[in-house]
Amino acid sequence: MSTFLQTLFVGLRLGSIYALVALGYTMVYGIIRLINFAHGDFIMVGGYTMIFTIPVMVALGLPGWASVFIAILVCAAVGMSTELVAYRPVRKKGTAMTALITAIAVSLLLENLAQAIPQIGPNPKVASQIFIAGGVKIANVTLDWTTMLTIGISVVVMIGLYQFTQKTRIGRAMRCVSEDKSASILMGINVNRTIVTTFAIGSSLSAIAALMYIAQYPKVYTTMGAMLGLKAFVAAVLGGIGIIPGAMFGGFVIGLVESFTTSYVSSSMADAFVFLILIIVLIIKPAGILGKNIGEKV
Amino acid sequence: MRKLLSLLLVLALAFSLVACAGGTAPAATEAPAADAAATEAPAEATGEGITLGVISPNTGALAVYGAAVTTAVDLAVSEINASGGILGQQVTVINTDDQFDPAETLNAFNSLVSQGVGLIVGSVTSGCTSAITSAANEEGVVLLTPSATADSITTANDYVFRACYADSFQGAIAAYYAKEAGYADVGVVYCAADTYSKGLYDSFAAAAATYGLNIKAVESTASLDVQDYTNQFASMASSGVQFVYAPYYYDVIGPYIVTQARAAGYTGIIMGADGYDGTPDYVVEGADLTAFNNVYWTNHYDPTDTDPMVQSFVAAYQAMFNSTPNAISALAYDAVYMYKLAIEKAGSADPAAVRDALADPSTTFSGVTGTFAFNSETGTPSKGAVILSFASDGTSVTTKLVDVIKELK
Repeated sequence: MSTFLQTLFVGLRLGSIYALVALGYTMVYGIIRLINFAHGDFIMVGGYTMIFTIPVMVALGLPGWASVFIAILVCAAVGMSTELVAYRPVRKKGTAMTALITAIAVSLLLENLAQAIPQIGPNPKVASQIFIAGGVKIANVTLDWTTMLTIGISVVVMIGLYQFTQKTRIGRAMRCVSEDKSASILMGINVNRTIVTTFAIGSSLSAIAALMYIAQYPKVYTTMGAMLGLKAFVAAVLGGIGIIPGAMFGGFVIGLVESFTTSYVSSSMADAFVFLILIIVLIIKPAGILGKNIGEKV
Repeated sequence: MRKLLSLLLVLALAFSLVACAGGTAPAATEAPAADAAATEAPAEATGEGITLGVISPNTGALAVYGAAVTTAVDLAVSEINASGGILGQQVTVINTDDQFDPAETLNAFNSLVSQGVGLIVGSVTSGCTSAITSAANEEGVVLLTPSATADSITTANDYVFRACYADSFQGAIAAYYAKEAGYADVGVVYCAADTYSKGLYDSFAAAAATYGLNIKAVESTASLDVQDYTNQFASMASSGVQFVYAPYYYDVIGPYIVTQARAAGYTGIIMGADGYDGTPDYVVEGADLTAFNNVYWTNHYDPTDTDPMVQSFVAAYQAMFNSTPNAISALAYDAVYMYKLAIEKAGSADPAAVRDALADPSTTFSGVTGTFAFNSETGTPSKGAVILSFASDGTSVTTKLVDVIKELK
């Protein structure tokens, strides 16, 4: 019983992180149909921003997590400049494939640029304790406060994003752009500004994800976004990429599969199982668990 | 369209160049003394000069070890050059970066060979070093690794040597310690994808069988990128063992394993190997650090050792770099002096002659990490180890000496 609970809680802990990161992937994809592979590295940018600003916050008498607001600003700036400098010129001239390759290039560029900054360098850094340790004890197994907070934030972000895209003017503009760019221009929507806004929001989400990540796994290093981003991307695809509740659902599925494989199958097979599940789901339901099978519009 | 693609490719190439330049920059700045030595050398040298190549992870996850090697080699070489060099020749150093990546290690090795280097110190980790051992034998280049402990690194009659003991000894010390401390049932958590971690697990298991220990629980992780070890240690706790051997590196031990193991309800001993060196700098500030009590590890030397040779090394290192040298530094420092001894014995810096001098069991070396000769079959020194532990008052973690083991009974 306690093994089951422990495994469940670890699964929730990993899943809550994947869900939060996957929301960022799915939001950008849902709106401009671009898989932003640099999203994982935006998390790294957010992580380092917090490593450097947490001491400042503490010195100012504020709680350490307040540095997330600075991280949001930095990440949004990085996200918007990525769009302006890299994605937009490529989109103007190239195809979806060139945009995808550019996203991978931006990802590698961010990782290596970060390493070249002397204050960051190649050594991993360890964050200080951000939230109170401990949590609720059930049958001698602890469910961390941080995990519950991450799940709560994921739910709030999920609902918020959904409402935002459904109810607000910018949200509606985003959905229009996603459906038909040329028609949106005719309707008087500023497509470029809409896309920049999408990136600003998507990157801000990565700052929040970075906060929750380093609160649970306090090591920050330049390639931290690589595997994390890949798994979150898998989560987004599994749930149905572009579908906001799907990202969250997919995140928890991946986290729980990883944790239960570790405890009950083989501890070194966790990653293999995650990707195996992905393949199986995609064979049965190519659009993802919550996705609808619709033919590509021509 | 095609134009754009080619433009993108060019851009990607340019990016990677920038990235590479960025990556190697720290290594270059870490070695000012070596560069200085390199520029002075031609003026003073009576012969051609002796060039030592260094391969170490100057960037990447284990950059602490890269810095440890390059600084210690700097110190040793500047000491040697100040006292007249080797056989009257000045020593120059060429540093290369393996980025803790086997493919990059081979690139670094090839670049050194193409510059005519025949004597190499490196690499640091077992995974990287094993990528270049066969190339070293083919090229007839002497490879003296300070710290690659995997048994498979050195074979009989080859060009590969090491300054450290091998895993079959390091894993055995941990098993020996478990037996001496009275633990009959033990557990293991290791990384199945890492040469170092897997090698230590194998040697620990072999020694445990010899000492009659029962390995009651074994858990593993699929890569060194895994961030959650809670399930593994929950399984240790439920199996009831009080001694877990967990051979990992400091960047996993500090932020993840120890705190997660305690949170999972495991309260017993966590024992590791020389990869734990550096952990106190990688703990979470503000967390409950008492978790680090009851953590033990084996290492090559202890900086508080009162031996005069250790003390003069520590003092010289502190004067030059303003920090306490770790075990990797001590081993790299010894590696340079081993080359000095072997070159003097061989009478030349010719790689084949140096190899024979190193392999000769009568070449006894006395250094910071002990007095020893190479076993001519394995190229591995027979030497002792220290057992250290972490101690914490809750807010910081310190290291203290527990025991010195000269040989296994």
